[in-house]
Amino acid sequence: MTASVLAPAEGDVAQNSAISVRSLWKVFGPKADTVAGSPAADLSRSELLATTGCVAAVRDVSFDVAPGEVFVVMGLSGSGKSTLVRCLTRLIEPTSGSVLLAGEDVLKASPARLRELRRTSFSMVFQHFGLLPHRKVIDNIAYSLEVNGVKRDARYRRANEVIELVGLDGYANHYPEQLSGGMQQRVGLARALAVDPQVMFLDEPFSALDPLIRRDMQAEVIRLHRDLGKTMVFITHDLSEAMKLGDRIAIMRDGAVVQMGTPEELVANPADDYVTDFIRDIPKSHVLTVRAIARPLRPEEDSTGPEIDVTTIIRAATPVIIGAGSPVKVMEAGALVGVVTSDDVLRLIGTDGGDSQ
Amino acid sequence: MSQAASEAGTASLLERAKGLLRRRGILIVLVLLAWIALGAVLKGVNTLALPTSENTPFTSVLREAAASIRGNRTESPAFVYFFNPIRAFVESFIELIRAVISLPSGDDIIPAVGWLGVVAIIGFVVFATSTWRTSLLAMGMLLLCGVLGMWTFTMDTLAMTLGAVVLSLAIGLPLGVWAGLSDRVLAFLRPGLDLAQILPTLVYLAPLALFFLIGTAAATIATMIYSIPIAIRITSHAIRSLNAGPIEAATSMGSTRWQLLTKVQLPMAKRTIALGVNQTMMAALSFVVIAALIGAPGLGKPVVEALIIRDVGDGVVAGLAVVFLAIMLDRATTAAVVRTGNFVHESGSARIRRRVGLGAAFTGAMVAVVLSRYELWAAVFPEQLIIGESVSSATSAAAEWITTNLYFLTTGFREVVTVGFLNPLESLLSNTPWYVTIIAISLIGALIGGRKAAAIALVLLGLIVLTGLWNDTMVTLAQVLIATVIVMLVGVVVGVLVGRSPRVERIMKPVLDAGQTLPAFVYLVPVLALFGPTRFAAIACGFFYAAPIVVRVVADGVRDVPSSMVEAATAAGSTKMQIITKVQLPASKRSLMLGANQGLIFVLAVVVIGGFVGAGGLGYLVIVGQSKPELQGKSLAAGLAILLLGVVLDRMAQAGAERRREQGSA
Repeated sequence: MTASVLAPAEGDVAQNSAISVRSLWKVFGPKADTVAGSPAADLSRSELLATTGCVAAVRDVSFDVAPGEVFVVMGLSGSGKSTLVRCLTRLIEPTSGSVLLAGEDVLKASPARLRELRRTSFSMVFQHFGLLPHRKVIDNIAYSLEVNGVKRDARYRRANEVIELVGLDGYANHYPEQLSGGMQQRVGLARALAVDPQVMFLDEPFSALDPLIRRDMQAEVIRLHRDLGKTMVFITHDLSEAMKLGDRIAIMRDGAVVQMGTPEELVANPADDYVTDFIRDIPKSHVLTVRAIARPLRPEEDSTGPEIDVTTIIRAATPVIIGAGSPVKVMEAGALVGVVTSDDVLRLIGTDGGDSQ
Repeated sequence: MSQAASEAGTASLLERAKGLLRRRGILIVLVLLAWIALGAVLKGVNTLALPTSENTPFTSVLREAAASIRGNRTESPAFVYFFNPIRAFVESFIELIRAVISLPSGDDIIPAVGWLGVVAIIGFVVFATSTWRTSLLAMGMLLLCGVLGMWTFTMDTLAMTLGAVVLSLAIGLPLGVWAGLSDRVLAFLRPGLDLAQILPTLVYLAPLALFFLIGTAAATIATMIYSIPIAIRITSHAIRSLNAGPIEAATSMGSTRWQLLTKVQLPMAKRTIALGVNQTMMAALSFVVIAALIGAPGLGKPVVEALIIRDVGDGVVAGLAVVFLAIMLDRATTAAVVRTGNFVHESGSARIRRRVGLGAAFTGAMVAVVLSRYELWAAVFPEQLIIGESVSSATSAAAEWITTNLYFLTTGFREVVTVGFLNPLESLLSNTPWYVTIIAISLIGALIGGRKAAAIALVLLGLIVLTGLWNDTMVTLAQVLIATVIVMLVGVVVGVLVGRSPRVERIMKPVLDAGQTLPAFVYLVPVLALFGPTRFAAIACGFFYAAPIVVRVVADGVRDVPSSMVEAATAAGSTKMQIITKVQLPASKRSLMLGANQGLIFVLAVVVIGGFVGAGGLGYLVIVGQSKPELQGKSLAAGLAILLLGVVLDRMAQAGAERRREQGSA
């Protein structure tokens, strides 16, 4: 469990990753390229600014994303998460490091190759949608195909497919400003899906939307991910969104990743006070599995209770636990891990909401 | 720090700032008093006054240079391979357009397309780019020009304007796009663009006439030099002010730079660029009229002739035609701008209806063109419809009546301003020894705008002395200052009214719009009728020309004051007057300074043209040089002096504004 907290080691490039990022740096300021690898790299944000006049927006970030995984990068504003995702697609040119997309280093790609990658291999969804106001929905969606030289008939056929996929039927000939924010971001999603990319980058795609619409769109992303199985790198500042969508989450602060792991790992073992503070308001019972509260059976207890799987989320297991008259047995591959009673669940819920432990 | 302590700190700071201001005010008054006292003692000494017909060493050098340039037109490589080919190209381009709509073409005695055809074509083009309503308005305006008996002049002006606009856009749009994409290109162009903004129109004329001969080519090129910077400025702004989101998105989808430009940036900037076309066109029209002074054909000619013989009626008729043409061009292009920005889905039936309408309009236009080629009544504007002469005599009679019966209003007002303010100021500026005036102005510049403003004033005023036209410059400066003060007084009052009340704004908007599109030259005619050939006529003209922009800038400033500020002041029990004087005006100080700066530049541009109607000063020297070769050196020097004066005024106003801002933020 602790292994995933640490970043992967240098040189250890996972061949089967969809994306593999190593020692990525983005430094703004004079002689930005000399910071990484020098003693200055270990300085704090303010010390670095004072001694070199530089700001490290992304510092020494490494991670791997498995094919089909939803990888969430989360952090407060100014933590470098938006810069990071732009470095991965070279909308911002990173200072140093490597970004391997299916084994190919994106940072070494020529301008022509980079354009080709952008047109075919990865796509991006933006916080403020970034739709072209002078183009109809269908021409917005078909833009990547158009700049890639796909013929009109073929690109409209493909655009119509994704229009249906994201639920925009009937809006093909509207202009973006005629649509609501939620509908506009559906266009943004459709546009990113149109090229059938290997990886999708979503930069706070729902932050500009109302809470209710945001929930709908999150469900939409979950559905699309289930149906299409795209690899996604999802940027957000909203922890509950991160928990809801992310297979794994990387938490950033001052440009560096402070912890990386599954939602359960983060909640169970926050790496430092910063992360603890972050997860304070997350109800543990919504994230942790019954493994976290399983304990050995006491001799005086009844051992005939029902069985549940060890990976069940506590909240989902609660009805069973309350309903059972005796301790519920937590099973992993047929073996008993421990037992859980409603008292154990209550004790956990009692520590939620802040000043616990 | 405790709150009380911090309040005390703020208070003492405020006190100190106030004291500083008061001290500065006292110092300025002291400088003025010293200046006046010295002026009284040394009156008439070292004033550098120079009779019009006399040259200085500098103007003689310029005259010799001008003469040698004129002599070299057929031999010098610069002319043979550069100026002459440009002239030939521009001239043939304009003549091509004129041959279609205004000049007799080939062996005919009439142009290729007669009035009916021109009206129909313009109606069709406006309909196709905007709406049928605007199209009717445009055709109506053109017909009015014909009814005034100004058809051929109008067509000449239209041909000149369209030709100059096409050439200006051909250069200005690509450069503007480039400057919009590249910081380096913008930085390279910026000094020229800034200079073009403060350069009075009259300054362009003489040098261009020298290199391109008096006539169509010089007039067109001068017009282009005036309007290209406007096209560049607005196009570059259009590209730079685009929302970055869609551009980043399009980049992330693998666009090449060319694809980004043609598929994203240009379409998104289209509306602002169309606005730039509108501005370029209005600037070109305004200049083409003035360019009559160097032989541009068109409506400027009858205006100039009327001004020379002081025939108010004829001048007003020609001026009205300019106004109608300006309204037509402005409305047509503005409506096109509105349509350009429309990204709303058009229903199928509406599109079909529009296609059918366009087809019908096109057919109608073609029929009209054919008619105008074969039927005399459709080719030459029918005499029976022309009422120009009666308009002219009616106007003359009205002007006569006003000057005889409302004498006390027009002449009275004129005399009050002239005797009470203009004469003393002019005497102070021009009858005091030049070194005293320069030092006094530089000291005031130092007090208003700091050391840099003072240094600029000192150097540039010194250069004006070197041109030998110091005295004439001071005569012009006196008129400019008086006109600016009047325009600021009126502009602030009206601007506050417009800024505070949406109703007043609604009433004033058409007036302001019209005022901003009319060529400066047009104001000369009625002003001349009312005030006669005097210096005050130039001041009045400057006032009318600059008032709309000053009102607009002040109104914008007042409107932009956060409503929360006004609300807070109202809640604290301020009267309306207190809100205006204690909240809205101080909060919009930057706009007031900007308004004053714009006012100065606009006034200068027109006051020098007033030299044409007896206001004397630099403008008169520029114009007189056009007809007298021996004074051409002085004409060029006068242009230079106007330019220097413009830079001094602009820099001092800017420095003052900057300094206020610094104090405001400190």
